[in-house]
Amino acid sequence: MAIRTAPAATEATAPPTAVPRRARRWPARVVLARTVIGLLLAGYAVVSLYPFLWMVSAAFKTQQEVIAGGHLVPRDPTLSTLVDTWNRLHFFDYFVNSLKVTGATTIGVVVIYSAASYAFAALHFPGRRALYRLFVALLFVPGVVTLLPVVLLENRLAILGTHLGLVLPFVNGTAPFAVLLLTNAFRAVPSELRDSARVDGAGELRIFTRVYLPLARPALVTIALLTAIPTWNEYLLTRVSLNDPATYTLPIALQALKSSQVVQYNSLMAGALIVVIPVIILFLAAQRYFVNGLTGAIKG
Amino acid sequence: MTTDVPTSLGAATVTRGRTGRGRGHRRRYQGREVAWAYAFVAPAIVLFAVMGVYTLFWGLQLSFVQWNGLTPTWLWVGLRNYTDLLWASPVFSPPVRAAALNTVWVMIAAPLLTVAISFPLALALNRARRFVGLLRSVYFVPYITTGIAVYLAWQYVLEPNGAINTLLGALGLGSLSQPQGWLGNPDTALPTLIVIMVWSAVPVATLLYLTGLQTIDPALTEAAQIDGASWWRVNLSVVWPLLRGITAVILLLNLRDALQGFQIFLIMTDGGPGDHTNVLGLQTYRLAFQSELAPTLGLASALGWMLFVAAVVVAFVNLRVTRER
Repeated sequence: MAIRTAPAATEATAPPTAVPRRARRWPARVVLARTVIGLLLAGYAVVSLYPFLWMVSAAFKTQQEVIAGGHLVPRDPTLSTLVDTWNRLHFFDYFVNSLKVTGATTIGVVVIYSAASYAFAALHFPGRRALYRLFVALLFVPGVVTLLPVVLLENRLAILGTHLGLVLPFVNGTAPFAVLLLTNAFRAVPSELRDSARVDGAGELRIFTRVYLPLARPALVTIALLTAIPTWNEYLLTRVSLNDPATYTLPIALQALKSSQVVQYNSLMAGALIVVIPVIILFLAAQRYFVNGLTGAIKG
Repeated sequence: MTTDVPTSLGAATVTRGRTGRGRGHRRRYQGREVAWAYAFVAPAIVLFAVMGVYTLFWGLQLSFVQWNGLTPTWLWVGLRNYTDLLWASPVFSPPVRAAALNTVWVMIAAPLLTVAISFPLALALNRARRFVGLLRSVYFVPYITTGIAVYLAWQYVLEPNGAINTLLGALGLGSLSQPQGWLGNPDTALPTLIVIMVWSAVPVATLLYLTGLQTIDPALTEAAQIDGASWWRVNLSVVWPLLRGITAVILLLNLRDALQGFQIFLIMTDGGPGDHTNVLGLQTYRLAFQSELAPTLGLASALGWMLFVAAVVVAFVNLRVTRER
């Protein structure tokens, strides 16, 4: 949907602003500047969407047409490639697997790190500062460093290749960012609210769930999004962990599809579209939280 | 370390005071509160102890041994993995050096290009009157979709008879098209991958700049304009210095990705053609997962740890440079 509205934006930004402004005798330089800005903005919108346009195009093409190359708009668009990918190539099953892994990871992150961040932000205990710093410093540990030991450890624990074996490292991998963002959000809650809740006889658990969590909702939605989206797209650990096709998530299914045959770009792009669409919908639906939360994290 | 990034940035751009920091330190610990606090952090710490501390420590240990992942015993080799990777081994050090050179190119080009594109884009977006929300959503799509799906789509348009070559032909720039495909030509493969990395990094950078621009007091830029400064002048001499903190964060994020990220390389070229797009992250991955039964797991760990140290050094230098100003 965003794809189709983009060209409309192109046409509308430049000319209509230029014409009436001129009637008001705006200097030519201003008109020129506005046109340049409009063109720049519209141009980059096209750049942003470029591979997606071709992804959509190929997904609606037949095998013959995709091999022939050529036009962006399919000559006679067909749904059969998408249907085929979804059913015969089992993308429905992979979709469910991806949902399971992403859902479990997101819930884990929100539950575990909102609790920890509440303690870091609102409670006083020995080691608070050191523990907080330890979590945040993890932001600098590269994925490659832990990838191999995690695989070896999971092999020993016999959870390698299971979905649990993906969820646990994914949750832990989000720790630095989640703790940073949620602790900042909880710190912004006035401590007077906590004090008065305590005077009313509320326990810690109650204060946490009834006062802090509702007030930090934007940050919670943000961290849920920022966990769910990369988890949905995760490729590395998944690729080295999963062996059984029945456990495949979408990105690995795409990889398998690519290497199992002579590359058929129409079904490959149909699969890619199945991966990308839920993410775009999720982002559009929760965009406000996403942008506000991200900015909030940086303002600290 | 990272806690300092937001605060130094906040001090530079946000006029509002910080909340909550250092408040109530004189209070004594209360037994019940401490018990609750540990209960709240316990799950995070247990997971972290197993998946974080233990694996990190194990990885460090592994970097001093020779092992193929299957034999019951490790062969202790001390620092030899490190020296082998850096210079000593004629087998292992040449690919590392080549990969390091490519990584340096990526580390230079990707962050600079990201800043060079996202700063003007944010300025333009900040001045736009209409469709700001729509454009912002559209610009964000490359970031949220980053992953194999998008990389395959790029591969598709970069094919020898793909859309990019067709487009160049249609524009009369056929001489620029790549008959081997953009990823098949050793000269264009790395620059092409860098461009795609930048394409994925621009959204967040633009958003950060845009947020920064919105916190700048309009009186400042207006004053400069009244003094006769041109639009360019205002942006270069007033706005750009005010956003230095944000530029530092963007550079840091992208340096880190350039140093450690290798997914795009693994998926799109797997280091090829030849070894022209091999980077250090990918080299680590190869040593860890693609050397069959050769005992290279220790080497992989050692290379991973060197990357880790390099990342910390980069972050430290970056913070020092921005703080001194």
